[in-house]
Amino acid sequence: MRSDASSAARGRSRVTAVTLYVLLVAASVPFLYPTLWMFFSSFKPANEIFLQPPTLLPGEWTLDGFAQVFTAQPFLQQYGNSMYIAAIVTVASILLSAMAGYAFARIRFPLRNVAFTLMLAAMMVPTEVTIIPIFTAVNAMGLNNTHWPLIILPILGPTAVVSVFIFRQHFLSFPKEYEEAARLDGVTRAGVFFRIALPLAKPAIAAVGIMAFLRSFNMYFEALIFLRTPENFTLGLAITRYQDFYGEQMWNTQLGAASLTVVPILVVFLIAQKQFVQGLAQTGLKG
Amino acid sequence: MRATRYRGAAIALTGVLAVSLSACAGGDTDASGPADLKMALWSSNEGHLALLKKIGDAYVAEHGDEVTSITFEPVTNPDYIAGLTTQIAGGDVPDLAWIPEASGPEFVDSGILHDVRDTLKDTEGYDLDDILPAALAPWQDDKGGVYAYPFSNSPFALYINEDLLAKAGQPDVKSLVGTPNYTWETITDIAAATNSKTGAVGLNVPTFNPTNWSAVTMLGNAWGAAPWSEDGATCEFASPGMIDYLTWYQKQMSRGAIPAVSGNAAPAAFASGDVAFSIAQLSQSGSLDDSFEWSFLPLPAGPKGYHPIVGQAGVSVLERSKHQKQAAGFLAYLTNPTNAELLAQFFPPPRQSLLNVKTLSKAAPKLSPEEIQSAIIDVVPEAKVKPQHPVLSQFSDKVRAGLDPVWSGGDVKAAVTGICEQISPTLKG
Amino acid sequence: MTARTSAANDRRVVPSRRPRPDGDRWLGVAFVAPQVLGVIILGVVPFLFVIWYSFNEWRPLTGEMKFIGLDNYSRLFADPTFSASVIASLLFSAGVLVLNLVIAISLAVLLNRRMKGITAFRTIFFSPVVVSVVAWSVTWGFLLAPDGGLNGALRLLGIDGTNWLADSSTALISLVVVQVFKGVGMNMVLFLAALQSVPEEIREAAQLDGASPWKSFWSITVPMIAPTILLTGILTTIGSLEVFAPVQLLTGGGPGDATNVLPFFLYRTAFVSQQFGYASAIGVVLFAIILTLTMLQWTSRRKWVHDEV
Repeated sequence: MRSDASSAARGRSRVTAVTLYVLLVAASVPFLYPTLWMFFSSFKPANEIFLQPPTLLPGEWTLDGFAQVFTAQPFLQQYGNSMYIAAIVTVASILLSAMAGYAFARIRFPLRNVAFTLMLAAMMVPTEVTIIPIFTAVNAMGLNNTHWPLIILPILGPTAVVSVFIFRQHFLSFPKEYEEAARLDGVTRAGVFFRIALPLAKPAIAAVGIMAFLRSFNMYFEALIFLRTPENFTLGLAITRYQDFYGEQMWNTQLGAASLTVVPILVVFLIAQKQFVQGLAQTGLKG
Repeated sequence: MRATRYRGAAIALTGVLAVSLSACAGGDTDASGPADLKMALWSSNEGHLALLKKIGDAYVAEHGDEVTSITFEPVTNPDYIAGLTTQIAGGDVPDLAWIPEASGPEFVDSGILHDVRDTLKDTEGYDLDDILPAALAPWQDDKGGVYAYPFSNSPFALYINEDLLAKAGQPDVKSLVGTPNYTWETITDIAAATNSKTGAVGLNVPTFNPTNWSAVTMLGNAWGAAPWSEDGATCEFASPGMIDYLTWYQKQMSRGAIPAVSGNAAPAAFASGDVAFSIAQLSQSGSLDDSFEWSFLPLPAGPKGYHPIVGQAGVSVLERSKHQKQAAGFLAYLTNPTNAELLAQFFPPPRQSLLNVKTLSKAAPKLSPEEIQSAIIDVVPEAKVKPQHPVLSQFSDKVRAGLDPVWSGGDVKAAVTGICEQISPTLKG
Repeated sequence: MTARTSAANDRRVVPSRRPRPDGDRWLGVAFVAPQVLGVIILGVVPFLFVIWYSFNEWRPLTGEMKFIGLDNYSRLFADPTFSASVIASLLFSAGVLVLNLVIAISLAVLLNRRMKGITAFRTIFFSPVVVSVVAWSVTWGFLLAPDGGLNGALRLLGIDGTNWLADSSTALISLVVVQVFKGVGMNMVLFLAALQSVPEEIREAAQLDGASPWKSFWSITVPMIAPTILLTGILTTIGSLEVFAPVQLLTGGGPGDATNVLPFFLYRTAFVSQQFGYASAIGVVLFAIILTLTMLQWTSRRKWVHDEV
């Protein structure tokens, strides 16, 4: 499709380029507009949110929306909850799925194929299917209204299989010579993994880390079922609970909380997007 | 693939894990000695929590030998009852809980609530007979057991944004009260006119979203409509009264008197100043400031006359609480005449002795004595509660789904007939 | 999904001394143990329980549990809400799958070139992936409201928009759109990576032979990215069948049962209607659907994925 490279068609290619930009700009709207609208509307007074005709920028800038974010709920604590859970999930997912992915790729051990097939099959059992037994087990262990299920499920549950798969694909294409040289020097297999293979797996680490973080950060169904008190809420749940006492939604407060949830992560993404996208591009999911 | 060879081993392993998983189940704690009580409630309002905590602390100070602490835990799930039942199903049972009236019969019937009649009766100075019989009835079984104290017995009323109506050049609604012209027809005419002149919302029906159909159907009383028969066994959604009511409602939506339903989103808040009329309870006046002038009036009449409605919430002791006795003792204290008067600050009390302008003026200082008299005190004795049914949760979603076409302008008759077809087997039990 | 890469490695098998092979074996077991046990304890075992529960009537509120054989299933297949729910799930999944792959591949093709500003567009298309799903859904709820942003924009064009989330003909497609724009950036990046591994010379050679860009796309590009299409297709299908948050936050399953997808129906049945046994039967059906659709895609690969994944 890189027809514009052909010099014979330069005139046509300028037209193509303009068409392309127009196309891309138009395509950007549904991706960009909601986030921008959310951000700007959190600075609107409540009655401007459904103003006709609708506006993107506030007519009158106000911080009213943010004022109640922190008083209506322990929002800072909820922010902390989401962050620490996501941090644990990210680090543990990277470590455990890298170990498993490495073993599946490089080490022969009993039941390897059975175990790998089992893992792929388990991808088809989402938490939505198994929530009832998991709910009763969590209750039986007294872990209701704690963060344990939100930490354990994404790290070890069926959703983690994709991470293992990404690492396995990565380590399959990792040059064996590096390892063999080290092993001839007397480095143990575990040493090879921790000192050589893992440090060289940066793209896979980036991909799995990002996916694990987002998975944890987006976890809503499990949070809805297991968390009960506001000080234990994660951000996703918290955003849905901005109601005044009479059950009426506090719109601008809700949008303020949503913006505060989204913007910092978006900024991190913008800064690190090169690594972000490259990491994902090299997940091995491209076959 | 050597899969088959190991399949047996994999299955065996699975079995072992299943056993170990279920062996992790925790044991029960004992019920003797002083208790730490936990009460689940819907509100996370600071004022409410502070008041409850004050009453709780006073009780602990007096009865330290029975109760060492009382914790008030808000369940802030917008679907409160789903949050509470999930909690109970999970075995994490609070000792006391607020129960909304719609779930009352279901909870009483399935034996989740503890009978507190004897405790209340035997508590000195409690005066169980002071509680309005109509308010207590939803919380009683055939044998006269009492399963909750209806701590909030709050009539629905019509809030009016006077400034907005004046701006839209509409007539004075307040002066219509008590005249034959004070009807839903008049109010919706004004609502539609205000909407078309100012773009503001005409009439808000309480916390109206598609999942809250019971709040909408309750107004049907004034059309002679009820969702099911008194005994709960027969579906009456397809009755002429209900069809009239829903057709009327549809018409109001199409002419802009009542806002259209938008997915799961709530309508504009009355407090924002952009709503002409709102049907809500007394406690909502707490969220209104002086930014516009408003009034609080009784509900207007429909084609079948004037049918006031109350919204209720009860406080119950749960049967599966490990400290029933201590919890019942606290319930008797929390709702005795003295504390009921304190609670009246937020929730209209079900006690005859407190139903007077003096007590209620404290509850809603922003209301005039006339408003309290006409929209609350005169209303409570004859008001009905919202529709209730002992297996409501089993068919509630089907009604919600069945009514959806009505809100978007579909055929009313087909919709209600469909609802009755679907829920009749469940209603009959 | 193993053949290609492991074959690549086998080529470089060096006649190596394998130091302490037995130690390696146990290290391998130890390395996979957490994830394998995790998947068994949190996936396989609970699923066996779900099957067992589905043969029982179980009201968790009272704790009563009674074996009733297949009654839940016969009730399920007679329940109009259930058939509506299966249809909603299948339509949603099909809509998301088709729209997501078409948009992801189109954007990847458009972006797969060196031009000023391409990175900025890539960033824009990817950005919803990092937006919290709740914030994203809530925001679309405002935009899709009758007097929200979308209808406001349409009115400027002289079009009367509908009440997107409350109209039974538009609610499900609205949810599809919300879900697709949220996640399509991820697939787009995967396709971009796949496209970049398609050698440019092959396409140029085809064009010199007179093949139109459209034709060379179908005859050269698509076959070469087929493995990625297969994998993203499977993952997108599974993900779309698990959808919950947008449904709960935007439509609550309505209007009617138009968006009452299986996970939402299961949630309401279990945690609102308090029927754990009946809800478990829904869970078993949901699994059966995921299994069937995954297997369909996986077994169809021989027909169109030449380069084995």
